[in-house]
Amino acid sequence: MEFPIFQVPYLGNGMTIALDAVLHVIISHGLAIGAVSMVVVSEYLGQRRASRDWEGFAKDFLRVIVFLTTSVGAMTGVGIWLITSALAPRGIGSLLRVFFWPWFIEWGVFAAEVVLVLIYYYTWQRWTGERKKHHLRLGLGYVAAAICSALLITGILGFMLTPDGWPWDKSLWSAFFNASYLPQLVLRLGIAYSLGALFSVGYLVFTRRERDFRKEAFAVFAKIALVSLTVTLLSAVWYFTVVPSTFKTHSLYAVMTSRFSQQPELFWEITIGGAVFLLLFWLVALRRSVISVRLLVIPAIVVSILFVAQFERVREFIRGPYLMPGYMYANQVLLEETPLFAKQGMLPSSYWYKATATKQGDSVSQGAYLFAQNCSACHTIGGINDIVDRVQGRTADGLYVIIGHTQEMVPFMPPFSGTDQERRTMADFLFRLADGAIKLGAPSRFAPLNGGPEHE
Amino acid sequence: MNNLFDLLLQKPLPDPWLQGLLFVSFTLHLLFALFTLGTAILAFSYLLIGHWSGNPRALRLAGRIAKAFMGHKSLAVVLGVAPLLLIQVAFTLPFFTSVNLFAPYWLAIIVLLIVAFLAFDLLAHYLDGHRLIPLILGITGLLTLLVVPGIFVLILTASEHPAGWITIIEQGYRLNGALAIHWLFRYLHVLGAAVVSGAAFHYFFAAEDKEERKSLLRLLVAGTLLQIVLGVPLYASLPDRPEMIVNFALFIGVGGAALFLWYLFAVGSKGDALLSLEITVPTMMFILVSMLLGRQLIQNRAYLPVMAALQENTREHSREIGAFTRESLARYQAKLNVVYDNGATIYAKSCAFCHGELADGAGPEAKNLEVKPENIAAVRTTAPYLHKILTEGVPGSAMPYFTFLDRNKLDALAEYLNTSHHLIEKPEPLPVVISAATLKQAEQLYAQACTPCHGNDGKGTEQSRGYRPPPPDFTAYSLTPRRMFEVIGNGYPGTLMPGFGHLPETVRWGLVEVVTAKRDR
Repeated sequence: MEFPIFQVPYLGNGMTIALDAVLHVIISHGLAIGAVSMVVVSEYLGQRRASRDWEGFAKDFLRVIVFLTTSVGAMTGVGIWLITSALAPRGIGSLLRVFFWPWFIEWGVFAAEVVLVLIYYYTWQRWTGERKKHHLRLGLGYVAAAICSALLITGILGFMLTPDGWPWDKSLWSAFFNASYLPQLVLRLGIAYSLGALFSVGYLVFTRRERDFRKEAFAVFAKIALVSLTVTLLSAVWYFTVVPSTFKTHSLYAVMTSRFSQQPELFWEITIGGAVFLLLFWLVALRRSVISVRLLVIPAIVVSILFVAQFERVREFIRGPYLMPGYMYANQVLLEETPLFAKQGMLPSSYWYKATATKQGDSVSQGAYLFAQNCSACHTIGGINDIVDRVQGRTADGLYVIIGHTQEMVPFMPPFSGTDQERRTMADFLFRLADGAIKLGAPSRFAPLNGGPEHE
Repeated sequence: MNNLFDLLLQKPLPDPWLQGLLFVSFTLHLLFALFTLGTAILAFSYLLIGHWSGNPRALRLAGRIAKAFMGHKSLAVVLGVAPLLLIQVAFTLPFFTSVNLFAPYWLAIIVLLIVAFLAFDLLAHYLDGHRLIPLILGITGLLTLLVVPGIFVLILTASEHPAGWITIIEQGYRLNGALAIHWLFRYLHVLGAAVVSGAAFHYFFAAEDKEERKSLLRLLVAGTLLQIVLGVPLYASLPDRPEMIVNFALFIGVGGAALFLWYLFAVGSKGDALLSLEITVPTMMFILVSMLLGRQLIQNRAYLPVMAALQENTREHSREIGAFTRESLARYQAKLNVVYDNGATIYAKSCAFCHGELADGAGPEAKNLEVKPENIAAVRTTAPYLHKILTEGVPGSAMPYFTFLDRNKLDALAEYLNTSHHLIEKPEPLPVVISAATLKQAEQLYAQACTPCHGNDGKGTEQSRGYRPPPPDFTAYSLTPRRMFEVIGNGYPGTLMPGFGHLPETVRWGLVEVVTAKRDR
């Protein structure tokens, strides 16, 4: 416990990462891989069919893509890293150790991607005639580099749910080529091309194009999308067959949350309804109806984005108590530290608590710190997943009992780490917090919430 | 198999390699970060000059400069990945700690850069439109972009002064005294370097005629001079006396800058002469590298004791947790084997620690609770009422709400409880026979002693439903006669329900009958 803790007000730490990450996935998959591939296909068709429409569409669309990927896409990607280094330094620090080389190689691949896409973009008008062939190859080279990025990052993402033998053998290979690696890779590529085709059609109907060209392009993108959607669907099924049942069984709750968990049928209605809607959308596009596509493309994009968010939410949620299964809990406590802290205490093991607590006897600052360390990866005080809502109505002794059994009672929660006395201190703190006896000011960047007058 | 239990201790490469790679990759990143910043500052300046003095030539130059922004910023971002990776591995503790200390600012970088990037890319695109558009885009982009090096410098300054970390925590984000002055000059020095780098880049790649080159050369000279001048207070504001080797690196850097200035003057005074790319690039890189080397050495000196202390602590900690590795892995394996998809497992894991393996309310935690866990085996209720308790919990007790289990799981749990303990059934008939007179007596007693809380109909009263815990609804919830007889006699521990053990046994059985009968209404 060597780092200070920062708790994001209202949103909470998990949601902050999630919002940034989902935006990044949509751009990295949908635009950087999917849409640029569609640009290359369009450029190829422009050549093959000697069509100025295809060529113009590809060129215009690439400009929008390059604008968005090199700003929003790149920064949200690095952003995941910036956010985790502030909110989960132990987690990201440890993942960097396991995956140092893939990450280092990814740097090169990422650089290649950016250089290639910029050259592809800037040479569009200059490499014509005989050189057009090379220009197309450049586009293909970029797509290959972008897929390499997916190859590298998927290993790390899969590891966080299915680390396979890693907890025992600590080898990079079992960590990287874990059970969910392949299905997830195929799934992500399926998502990329489904989104890419969808964004292409979106750009097509809302910019000025020849009517006949539009119809021609609809048919091309619809065929690509229908294949990609099928691949996405099949690989999603494949993916869930390799996820251990102990994790998989929380998938439904991951989406429905406490609010809707008692209406599981709603989950299936919405999921199947969404999938059917997307299929119908593409069938309509295949029939080349411009008006229907124009009307439906925005809802289709919204539905697709929700599907992406749903998948990422499930994947991130069901690994539940672990940040790195078999090694680190979601609250950045190592599995081996829980029994140690039960003996030695968490507060005495927390460098910043010892260094900053002016009133170490103060049970409020102790409770707040224990909460920050144990719970604030997922819970906030007064925001999303508010701990006050969660403990409302419980007695102090009830909280004491529940805190000691979180990992059994709620299968996706990590255990409380600390001594029996610390467990009691945190229970009392939460009880008084729910009772209104303790009022916390703006959530502080540090726990302990330094026990100042605004907290008492 | 390694002996280090804590991953944060591991180094994928020996330290000199890590630090060497960090230096090289950071230099590359910084070069393009300076280009990006310089491009933005120059494009906006020429844009202002163009609009202000109605000078279309300045506007055209601004346009050509702005076009480079896309490439510069993209490369700056991508080249930043390696130093970000390497500094986190090479200097884990000081880096993460400083990032944490300034977390809100650090997180703001993401938003600031997205806004700045979009603004400048759009600026390059809409330069020919209405004059207000590029002006607004330029102001937005520049303001957001200029904040970013300020934050980076802030975090680096803080990270190099571990002694000040506690003060930052206790007093908030204020940078005071000497550190603030140091920060200011360091920040200005970065901006100066950005102008110089940008001017040099665009002298070669954006300027198209003599006038434009002359203008950029003037900036280059002024910028380099300013850098030397700014360097003096920056050096003076260093909190610790730099080592000889640092002084040497900086001296070489200043020497390079002086030579560069001399070269610039020489070319500038010769009318039509042009700067040579072959001289300018190596000279500027030489200055950049020697200055950055000085910076890196100063930083290392601050970081190394902190890193050594961390390694010592972590090594000690690793030895301690090492004793628990085997046990923890076994527990993890056990966790993987448990699937919460059936009533028996859910009961055993989520309920039994209070209610007991036999569901008799005697779980291991019962002794810690004032309101005792219910003897579930003796409960006779309806499926909807059970679901209500499971999804709402019992306020004023330890019984939480279980909506973290979806409906299918709660149904499986209910089915399991019903199969094993007949939970969802009507209560059994009384084991004793009650005379009509006793029953009447019991009914009167119920009306007198029980209705204030339980209500005439057994559903509780307006007031008692607010009790913590509230009384159960007798129309949907009852107990086996024996258990109810027990509760009536002894009360329910921890609640307002008193014991009526003083009443004759027959009357107590009569009360059991009265209460149980409410289920049928």
